[in-house]
Amino acid sequence: MGLHINFKSGKPVYLQIVDQIKSLSASGALRAGEALPSIRPLAEELRLNRNTVAKAYTELESLGVIETLPGKGCFLKASQSPLRKEVRRNLLIEEIDQAIVAAHHLQVSDREFFDIIQERMNALESKRKEFA
Amino acid sequence: MSRVTPAIQVENLKYAYGRADAVHDLNLTVQPGRCYGLFGRNGAGKTTTMKCLLNLLRPRSGMVRVFGLDPSKQEVAVKQRLAYVPDQVAFYPWMSIRETLDYLASFRTNWNRRIEADLIERFRLDPSVRADSLSKGQRTQLALIAAICPETDLLILDEPTSGLDPIVRREFIETVIGAYQDGNPGNRTILVSTHLISEFEGLIDEFTIVDHGRNVLTLDADLARESYKKIRVRFADTPPEVDLREALQVRREGRELEVIANGGSAELQHRLQETRPESLTVESLTLEEIFVATVKSREAQ
Repeated sequence: MGLHINFKSGKPVYLQIVDQIKSLSASGALRAGEALPSIRPLAEELRLNRNTVAKAYTELESLGVIETLPGKGCFLKASQSPLRKEVRRNLLIEEIDQAIVAAHHLQVSDREFFDIIQERMNALESKRKEFA
Repeated sequence: MSRVTPAIQVENLKYAYGRADAVHDLNLTVQPGRCYGLFGRNGAGKTTTMKCLLNLLRPRSGMVRVFGLDPSKQEVAVKQRLAYVPDQVAFYPWMSIRETLDYLASFRTNWNRRIEADLIERFRLDPSVRADSLSKGQRTQLALIAAICPETDLLILDEPTSGLDPIVRREFIETVIGAYQDGNPGNRTILVSTHLISEFEGLIDEFTIVDHGRNVLTLDADLARESYKKIRVRFADTPPEVDLREALQVRREGRELEVIANGGSAELQHRLQETRPESLTVESLTLEEIFVATVKSREAQ
């Protein structure tokens, strides 16, 4: 699945898995109904604690990103968040705020910041086309 | 939390070889289901601590419990519940792999033959080969099979991968995750001492750094990586004077400044930012870097 764990990011390992699977889903690299590797082989491949991978999958399930079919494994769900629009907005705002703080510390100007957002959106769009 | 009996509980452990203090007031609590790292330099007291858990050494003082049991009084009950891979693996030289495993299985109430067969195949071992003609890697693989087949709740690994080639090391760790942890998710506890911290980084939930027989730092792995930061700053000219009181370590090199901090790094970062540097990057420390920074800053004192 091409997940990559970066221990220098300071982000909890299970959250890195959650975020990467979410972005694979957003880009279309993983499509609704497609199977995810089960916990054991993914943990072995990434050499991660089995319980860390399990925690990430539990989180993805509660976010409505994946579903577990007993005896069959984990599958990506169609991207319909079970959360209300307002809640979803607030979750996004938190992430954006963090990025703004990071931009400030990295001395990225507001103009540059907007340009980067535009550029990343374009990049995601072209990835989507590639997988479509 | 307090109602759960810890898998390992060590309180004020003291041990000395002759007059030399090996372990001094060591404390350690490992909750069931966790993978716990014990980090330290050579001679820091890691092996001694592990041997006290196994009743291979008798503590001078202090308390040692394994699943609430005293290893010196309930040795058999303790040994039923754990498996151990020492740093130096030894088998009877005249026994074949098959005979060695049967011999070791005879001491156990439970022995999973299916896992045994899987691992023999995975490691491409020939069961008819005698122990004295095995390579170091193969001896470790045999020890790992013998440690996993009894399906114990606790696995103690003492420098398990040192001196092994990268392929054997990788397989070793994969086996610990897959064959051991996945066998009873959430209930398999691991205590591992290692120099090769980066290889076990993804496995470790929590760790203790031991130095000269004392515990120096105990932290959750994710929290540790979140709070230890390395700030790298480059200036257009000679670095200005900045208040770096939160820093654990400072390195200056020409126009560059590298600061390691634990907590307080936001304030530090802010102050460095105010000096208008050419560039400033922040990254978290890996467990190995945290270990090195901690031990080195103690030695500098």
